[in-house]
Amino acid sequence: MARQMIRDVIRDTIDAEMARDENVIMLGEDIVGGMGSPGGPEAIGGIWGTSGGLWAKYGSDRVIDTPISESAIIGAAAGASLTGKRAIAEIMFADFIGVCMDQIWNQVAKFRYMFGGKSKCPIVIRMPYGAGYNAAPQHSQSIHAMVTAMPGLKVVMPTTAADVKGLLTTAIRDDDPVIFLEHKALYGVKGEVPDGEYLIPFGHARQVTQGDDVTILATGMMVGFAEKAAAQLAQDGIGCDLLDLRTTSPLDEEAIMDSVERTGRLLIVDEAPPRCSFATDLSALVANKAFASLKAPIEMVTGPHSPVPFARELESAYVPSPDKIVAAAVKAMSYRRG
Amino acid sequence: MANLRAFAMPKWGIEMTEGVVAEWMVKEGVPFKKGDILALIETDKITNEVEAEADGMFPKLVAETGGTYQVGELIAVLTGADEKPSADEVSAFVSGFKPADTAVASKAGGSPPPPPAAAPKVEAAPEPVKTVSIAADANISPAARALAEEKGVDIAGITGSGDGGRITFQDVLQASLPATTVGGSPVEIAPIGETLGEVFASPLAKRLAVQHGVALSSLTGTGPKGRICKADVLAKVKPEPVAAATPSAPAASTAAAAPMAFARPAPGTAEIVKMSSMRKAIAKALSHSKSTIPHFYLRSKVRIDAILGLRAQAKAATGEAPSINDYIVRACGLALARHPDVNVQVHGDEIHRFGSADISVAVATDKGLITPIVKGADTLSVAAISREVKALAEKARTGKLQPEEFQGGSFSISNLGMFGIDQFDAIINPPQGAILAVGAGSRQPIEIGNALAFATIVEISLSCDHRAIDGAVGAEFMRTLKGLIEEPKLLVG
Repeated sequence: MARQMIRDVIRDTIDAEMARDENVIMLGEDIVGGMGSPGGPEAIGGIWGTSGGLWAKYGSDRVIDTPISESAIIGAAAGASLTGKRAIAEIMFADFIGVCMDQIWNQVAKFRYMFGGKSKCPIVIRMPYGAGYNAAPQHSQSIHAMVTAMPGLKVVMPTTAADVKGLLTTAIRDDDPVIFLEHKALYGVKGEVPDGEYLIPFGHARQVTQGDDVTILATGMMVGFAEKAAAQLAQDGIGCDLLDLRTTSPLDEEAIMDSVERTGRLLIVDEAPPRCSFATDLSALVANKAFASLKAPIEMVTGPHSPVPFARELESAYVPSPDKIVAAAVKAMSYRRG
Repeated sequence: MANLRAFAMPKWGIEMTEGVVAEWMVKEGVPFKKGDILALIETDKITNEVEAEADGMFPKLVAETGGTYQVGELIAVLTGADEKPSADEVSAFVSGFKPADTAVASKAGGSPPPPPAAAPKVEAAPEPVKTVSIAADANISPAARALAEEKGVDIAGITGSGDGGRITFQDVLQASLPATTVGGSPVEIAPIGETLGEVFASPLAKRLAVQHGVALSSLTGTGPKGRICKADVLAKVKPEPVAAATPSAPAASTAAAAPMAFARPAPGTAEIVKMSSMRKAIAKALSHSKSTIPHFYLRSKVRIDAILGLRAQAKAATGEAPSINDYIVRACGLALARHPDVNVQVHGDEIHRFGSADISVAVATDKGLITPIVKGADTLSVAAISREVKALAEKARTGKLQPEEFQGGSFSISNLGMFGIDQFDAIINPPQGAILAVGAGSRQPIEIGNALAFATIVEISLSCDHRAIDGAVGAEFMRTLKGLIEEPKLLVG
């Protein structure tokens, strides 16, 4: 057991997988981290610091700096994966997904289906996402709803250091395309990481806190906020069943239903804007399959229907906060029928 | 040979001897479905819808619209929906028909069942809970498992709706409920004929046009690109008279042509209106009352400031408040409980004293006065009385009162305060012994101590039947009533 920052866990996990399987390769913009700079090819270690030292270890054939073309990164990674490699492609900001959407949506997600199940595309597309970094509207978005809506993709949103290791290992070894969403604000967060080989299967939520009054569903950075809120609510005698969903596709429907059937109240925390979102999807699922268990309307704490603002004050008003989560839970608890 | 049956005037309630066929809702020779409304039949004070108890057809409607028929009298010939009886067969049936004994008329041949509300609801005895065993590895959520065990639901027959066919709480709950049939009779929507389809109008405008009988081709659309919209149709529709609020009232359709509220015959002419059966019933009962009952009147002024205070509190607390009349009904109920000699009916040389204060409350409808009964007003809270009066008044206005809801009663209240009437005397509603007339509240100067103050005063007048109630008895009742109204803590306590 070691205590590590999440960015280091990512590098070490990729390192371990590249050492284990020579077919694992990496592609991305500036992932070598300083090519052409006075300090040498690895002077910086990538802008997120998630790939430092890998080029020196595995060389230019397996750690490939690409031109600034997301379409080319995914296209090349997908092609390599079709021929037997396991490509890990990095899109520097998830917001740039629009540029490579055809490669992801119409190619990567469809290969297995369109070739009668005879081909596989074991690609992992890592994308830093999320607000709270004061990075303005084009570098702060949460795009999980978009990719979760696409059949053929698996979508992972890890929260803790241990989960990053377990889920990234599973993602690299998975034979299907995986969108691996890393929250930018979590890169510097430290956590305990299990030693040795560690895999977490997809589609299994993590129970963060247990309680009988309100079920809270969250992913990524929102899990920490919800955990703070749950601690505060516990002081007021409100027990929260907080689930970190870990993967949005596949979804741990079973854990959600079990919890909602027990608590009768659901609060969904989602950083993305509220329309046609992951929050509304979960809400519809529960309204449809657990209506009989609900004691109160489903509450959603999300960002507003607006681009992420740049100004620090506005951005912190945009992102769901523990206070907003507490208020929504209290609202659900105060609901009276009739 | 077609199977012909009699469709006779039904008997609703022991007092009903005759009924008026207000309107046939089906046509001769046109098949109808079970549940269709066949006719509107009017009795003394109510209009009832007669529902088809099975599919069928009337080869002959014997009764004329507006005609009065004895209970058990033939009003139509009934047969199966697909039968085609000859005219001779039908007329032979009509001439050969003999009314059944009226006491059993409602059970005879093809006569319709009593109104649905009267039918007793049969509830099956609850089945004992079965014990079920659910395999430990069954694909079922914990909450669903607990529910299935509690309710004894066999999960073998349930198709799970959860992930991978997992059985959820909701699945078990639904399986534990009695089966219900989804759907029902088709929803009535306005027919969109070929001509309507070609008109450039919004669907709502088309529906309104059909409902109100407006020819769309006569309209100029004011919507986008000249589309006929809702407002265009409504502009063509004449304002409906108040009477139209009761769709079951047979007069509504003819009254609809007249302008609202000011309907009157042309100058210099007089219109002859036949009394409705309700009008006749009012006329008969009250002529009898005023000409044979020795009325005397006891008048009193009561302060209602305290009631107004309670109302304001109730309004602030709950957003709605009982009416002044609801408090007065409650006060009368309590006063009658203390003065059983006023809570009476007079039948020949008998006086019937009642153990419960069943108070008739006069309600004005567009067809005339009707007095639904608040039963056991002495045992109901003001809020309960308020709800009851509202429900009864609504039923009275739509002609849906059941006979037992307006026949009987041991005391009446008539309140014309809402019309600004200061004071009036009411005619006793026989066989009851007394009626209270309530006027409008008004601010009046009163003397308190040696000073002049203002209070809200209502004038009340008790009409008593001297055959049963003497002056002193009535006066004692009024003293109690005044005390209760002026100290309403006694009402709400």
